Amino acid sequence: MNKKQIIIRIKDLYFYYQNTMILEKIRVEFEKNTITAIAGPSGQGKSSFLMCLNRLWENIEGARASGKIEIDFGKGFENIYDKSCSLPLLRRRVGMVFQTPNPLPATIHKNMAFPLKLAGLKNKSEISEKIHKTLCNTFLWDEVKDRLDSDARSLSGGQQQRLCMARALILEPEILLLDEPTSSLDETSASVIEQLLTKLKTECTIIMVSHYMDQVKRIADNKMVMKDRQLKYTQ
Amino acid sequence: MMKKSCDDIILGIFSWACALILILSICLIIGFLVVKGYNALNVQLVFSDTNPVDALLLKQQVFDGLFPAIAGTVLLVCLSMIFAAPLGLCTGIFMAEYASAGVRQFFSLIFDILAGLPSIVVGLFGFSVTVFMHHYLSAKIFPCLLIASLSLCFLVLPYIIRTTQIALETVPLPVRLTGPCLGAGKLENIMLVLIPSSMPGILSGIILAIGRCAEDTAVIMLTGAVASAGIPDSVFSGFEALPFYIYNIAAEYSDPGQLAKGYGAALILLIICACLFFVSHVIRAKFADQTGYKG
Repeated sequence: MNKKQIIIRIKDLYFYYQNTMILEKIRVEFEKNTITAIAGPSGQGKSSFLMCLNRLWENIEGARASGKIEIDFGKGFENIYDKSCSLPLLRRRVGMVFQTPNPLPATIHKNMAFPLKLAGLKNKSEISEKIHKTLCNTFLWDEVKDRLDSDARSLSGGQQQRLCMARALILEPEILLLDEPTSSLDETSASVIEQLLTKLKTECTIIMVSHYMDQVKRIADNKMVMKDRQLKYTQ
Repeated sequence: MMKKSCDDIILGIFSWACALILILSICLIIGFLVVKGYNALNVQLVFSDTNPVDALLLKQQVFDGLFPAIAGTVLLVCLSMIFAAPLGLCTGIFMAEYASAGVRQFFSLIFDILAGLPSIVVGLFGFSVTVFMHHYLSAKIFPCLLIASLSLCFLVLPYIIRTTQIALETVPLPVRLTGPCLGAGKLENIMLVLIPSSMPGILSGIILAIGRCAEDTAVIMLTGAVASAGIPDSVFSGFEALPFYIYNIAAEYSDPGQLAKGYGAALILLIICACLFFVSHVIRAKFADQTGYKG
């Protein structure tokens, strides 16, 4: 039997929002190339937990976290809360997609090129090639190939969400965080996203928050529940 | 269907009446100006006896025409905005993105007080600073276009700062977090995500400020506007401006012909303001198309 490879190791993670403790002493590990679904009642800190994994809470006023989160990006575990850890680099390696699609107020092409430009890629043909490849992987190319210069917000909700996923995936992150990615979508769009996630897990580790138990059963390899400030594996 | 309550009906009628009164008032003012000033509105009002081409090419001075006042107003607005727009934008960005809660609260109070200052007080301040500099720095310093522009900049800064701050602060959280999620630093997020996302709001503040600069009389009458300065040679010269011309005519006219000229000048000021608003609106709409915003 293959030994499970751990990619994220969390020790004693605490998270506070304006002096209210949201997460308490979380100790948990995540396997590489799996989909882990986190369920649980609203307001329990599921989204906050995801934001701890890429330190996005640092961009939210009143939020603070402490503890140790170690991620193995291929060169052994490194604590992402170390001062030496580069935040832009961390966020390129740990992509995140929100519940509500958040395309930038720009064209589809510019949305896709944005993370590449931030990462310092300037070669236009290389950028176009990467955009083409990623949009194909997210089943979006055929739908948008003739309108790459259109406003990204003219796309349907499902297309916008796939565009946001494609935008996060274009940097080839090792970990993808998804905060209820299908909750604002209809059944057909949600099923396309599920298909996409199943395909993606060979390339990256996916941690997603989902309220839909059917969806969790269909696509998740591991299930967790967030309750009473604690995160625990469940069957 | 639910029946409307009496309160709803009264509130509805009141709201409609308020909107109607406002629209009627605007129509009345514009209509009054058009009726009174239409006959005076001709090439002679602007260029007097000077050849318009020579006047526009600055080959010949225009005496007794509105051209120097029109040019002065446009120069004044442009110069004021050159100072006010970048300063206001940067301060708005600082307030929204960098200032701590305490600093933000303190400066918000200051800017609110500044926004409430009567323009005559700002004019007096500009005049006092000029007198001070005239006595202690250089005897060559007099009220001029530059000082009037800086005083106007001082007057409109709070509008630009507050609208920029509010436009940035109201960017939805998912959009605000888009840049950081993809590895953008704070400055990159501000420049590439937050400012483009809030550009329609920011431009609204600038449009408001342009209107305020074009119409203000109290500030410029104390800081550089004179009745017959001609077109200013430099920013250190006195200048003519339409609001000041209108004020002057209204206060000192000696015959109905002169008063009609005043109405004509008011009409031209309205047209200039409308043109400035139109240009700003086109820029805003162009930006809105690019960004997807329709607001």
